Amino acid sequence: MIYRTNEYLGYPDRISVPAGETVKFQLSSKRDKVNVEVLRLRCGDVDAAGPGFKYEVMESGVDGVHACLDQEIRPGSCAVIEHGGALVPSGAAWSFGAYVWPTLIADNAKAIMGNWCAATERGYALEIDAEGYPVLVLGAARFALKVKVAARVWSFVSATLDPVRKTATLSLIVPADSTVPTMAHAETFALSGDPALDSGLDFLIAAQHLDEAARYTAHFDGKIEAPRVFSRALDAEMLRVFDWQPRTGATTAGLVAFWDFSDGITGLSVKDISPNCLNGRLHQLPRRGVTGFFWSGAVHDFRLAPKEYAAIHFHSDDIYDCQWQTTLMLDVPDGWRTGVYSLRLTPVGDTPEPDCESYVTFFVTPGKKTKRADLVVVLSVATYLAYANSALRLYQVHFETLMEHVLWLPMDDVFMQEHPEIGQSTYDCHVDGSGRCYSSWLRPVLSTRPRGYWFNLINDTHILDWLEEKGIAYDVITDVELDREGSRALKPYRAMMTPTHPEYYSFNMMNGIMEYQNAGGRHISMGGNGFYWRCGFHPAAPEALEVRRGMAGTRTWESAPGEVHLAGTGEPGSLWRHSGFAPQKLVGAGFSAMINDTCGYYLRQPDSEDPRAAFIFEGTGRREKFGDFGFRYNGAVGSEIDRLDYELGTPRHALLLATSEGLGAGALPTPEEFRTMVDGLDGTQNALVRADMVFFETPNGGAVFASGSITFGMSLGYNNYDNNISAITLNVVKRFLDPEPFAMPALA
Amino acid sequence: MDHTSDPNAMRYVIDPERLDLVAEFRKSPLGVHSPELRAMLARMRWGKAQGRLVLVVLEAGKAWRLSRIPERRGDPMPFVDERIFTSLAAAEWHVFKIRWQAMTGVTLPPEYQGDL
Repeated sequence: MIYRTNEYLGYPDRISVPAGETVKFQLSSKRDKVNVEVLRLRCGDVDAAGPGFKYEVMESGVDGVHACLDQEIRPGSCAVIEHGGALVPSGAAWSFGAYVWPTLIADNAKAIMGNWCAATERGYALEIDAEGYPVLVLGAARFALKVKVAARVWSFVSATLDPVRKTATLSLIVPADSTVPTMAHAETFALSGDPALDSGLDFLIAAQHLDEAARYTAHFDGKIEAPRVFSRALDAEMLRVFDWQPRTGATTAGLVAFWDFSDGITGLSVKDISPNCLNGRLHQLPRRGVTGFFWSGAVHDFRLAPKEYAAIHFHSDDIYDCQWQTTLMLDVPDGWRTGVYSLRLTPVGDTPEPDCESYVTFFVTPGKKTKRADLVVVLSVATYLAYANSALRLYQVHFETLMEHVLWLPMDDVFMQEHPEIGQSTYDCHVDGSGRCYSSWLRPVLSTRPRGYWFNLINDTHILDWLEEKGIAYDVITDVELDREGSRALKPYRAMMTPTHPEYYSFNMMNGIMEYQNAGGRHISMGGNGFYWRCGFHPAAPEALEVRRGMAGTRTWESAPGEVHLAGTGEPGSLWRHSGFAPQKLVGAGFSAMINDTCGYYLRQPDSEDPRAAFIFEGTGRREKFGDFGFRYNGAVGSEIDRLDYELGTPRHALLLATSEGLGAGALPTPEEFRTMVDGLDGTQNALVRADMVFFETPNGGAVFASGSITFGMSLGYNNYDNNISAITLNVVKRFLDPEPFAMPALA
Repeated sequence: MDHTSDPNAMRYVIDPERLDLVAEFRKSPLGVHSPELRAMLARMRWGKAQGRLVLVVLEAGKAWRLSRIPERRGDPMPFVDERIFTSLAAAEWHVFKIRWQAMTGVTLPPEYQGDL
């Protein structure tokens, strides 16, 4: 059966909900009714060759039919300023302008600033038209310069209205850049009639009003800096270079507004530093902390020179919050087990449509009355968000060569191609070619659903399936709790488990786990390429993850020069390895390579015979191949793999239990693993291209086990859960749940 | 532009005389290949995404159908034909033949034209 998985779309207001609390769901469909069930997923993988799609239908208060609205997604960021008429042109003259650095000149007009409304043709605006010509819009009239702006070149676009002389002057100044000297162009137009300049609506920067219902259009792609408005006539160059810095006891004649985007970069407000205080708010999370017109390159951290970061990069496809109306509220009973949950959404009607089902995934975490298990699985929401709606398979030049087969696209990818408004992942680029820094859960996320793409969450459910099969009691929390609560989120548990690919980790998550491990906690790191990117949830938009791609690391785009710091927290993005906290320091192994062809397996190393580690291999042979099998990938060493490195922080007493064999030419190192290109970098020759299985004890009786491979977890269920990967994992879990303290060896 | 993003970053020129590589690929479309065949496949698989043939998963692990990445985001993405593949290797071989014809301008000999 071929499933239709997008007849209904939706998202929760909170990604994890403690038992006993409430979660709101926002749903949308062309159909006016929806049938709702709640599933607790044991294994979300529908692949015919996998462990099977396994779930429990939970009885809940939202079961049954609900009315459903067809709700719109309107991407595109801008700044919104409520002004009470203060920004409607009045008096003898009106001048306004801003620096712009457009990144996409195409398709439709791109708004710079104004209050103009397309539906009523009232108001005024500066914009750049579809061919790049600056345009002044006054009511129903449009006036264009005959000179274009250039993409990715700073320009100053401005206009002055003179109602007495009935003229308007439109200007473009392009300050000197590279080999091109300063250029200035201006044209004065005669005005006929009395244009309607008061739309009665908010003043917008980087967008226009589509109608009077707070729907926006003509979103600007690119940077805008220092928009300003005067209630008097000013020559364009005077308007550009006036003394805008506020001085004590001094005012600037006629200044109505000057928005200084360098003020409050970590927030979502925009500040007017004129005496009128026409402050505004940002809509749909544009990118701050970006280099501005005055960037010197002297520093790369906006906190050290905010005036050099006085621009905001707006995108016509920014999307943070769909702002849909709530369809239903689920009161999660106190007694529900923690875990991965999904709403299953199906049509209502007399004619059965068994091929039509959609899902909205969320997580139930321990509530006040939950009796805690000894083991907690920390699911990787930050990583799920980083990959949310990944369009790598649709748009990346290198991706088929990387995967080494014709790309396989689930039907959800076809939907994403046809509906780009749902927004893509932090692996993708905006329509203007710049990388996406933000990904939020306040929009439909297709890649965390059964019947969707399997990487990350669906793969992680193979581990939950195995825990259920082995009868091991566990709780589920997410790394969002770890981010918000730090090590307190882990404290109730004797052991924690991280799943197949916990790649994106914030400062609180990293230090929270380190604190837990050092306080005697046990950590079973089941995956590969974990604890890799330094990222953060945006403090002012806490449902959004922020990622900046540095100058190294496996990455599909690269931050522009000077833009590696996270706008939300100010800390440097990029790899944890480049912040002095490589994954090896946390779990003993860190990212070494990607496996693009055939997977490998492990062979035991001499350390596996150390009495400290003897419990791990009980019941297995010394010369066995470990994991030369598995679902989907056909091997426990695959996809992305990690290696031990004492220089990068692996504890000196760590034991190298096993290492990989069988990797070939399609096993290639991550870029930070080599400094010079030489022959012999691939897995056939490069000894650093390997997966290492590692164990070490921590202070106060704790311990860490790391598998070093993403596909390790997909081998657990092979042969009806009877295999040597399952056996050693069970040995680790049992010992890690035993209260008997581990003894850290004396360090030399 | 960097190598990962440049659609023209692969230099390999496919030699239409190298039917030995065609034979090697047909023998095991998803297997481990010789360095020469790997280079040719890397070239065949590289390039701008728009227009690229892809397999849409109709049923996970069971059924796939050919489609093509459209020119613009937001455009419809129809299937290119009626054929439903039940083997990834068969689909891989089918796409290989299409690309061979398109990239070399040379029709494969009859003994290579059939299905896997």
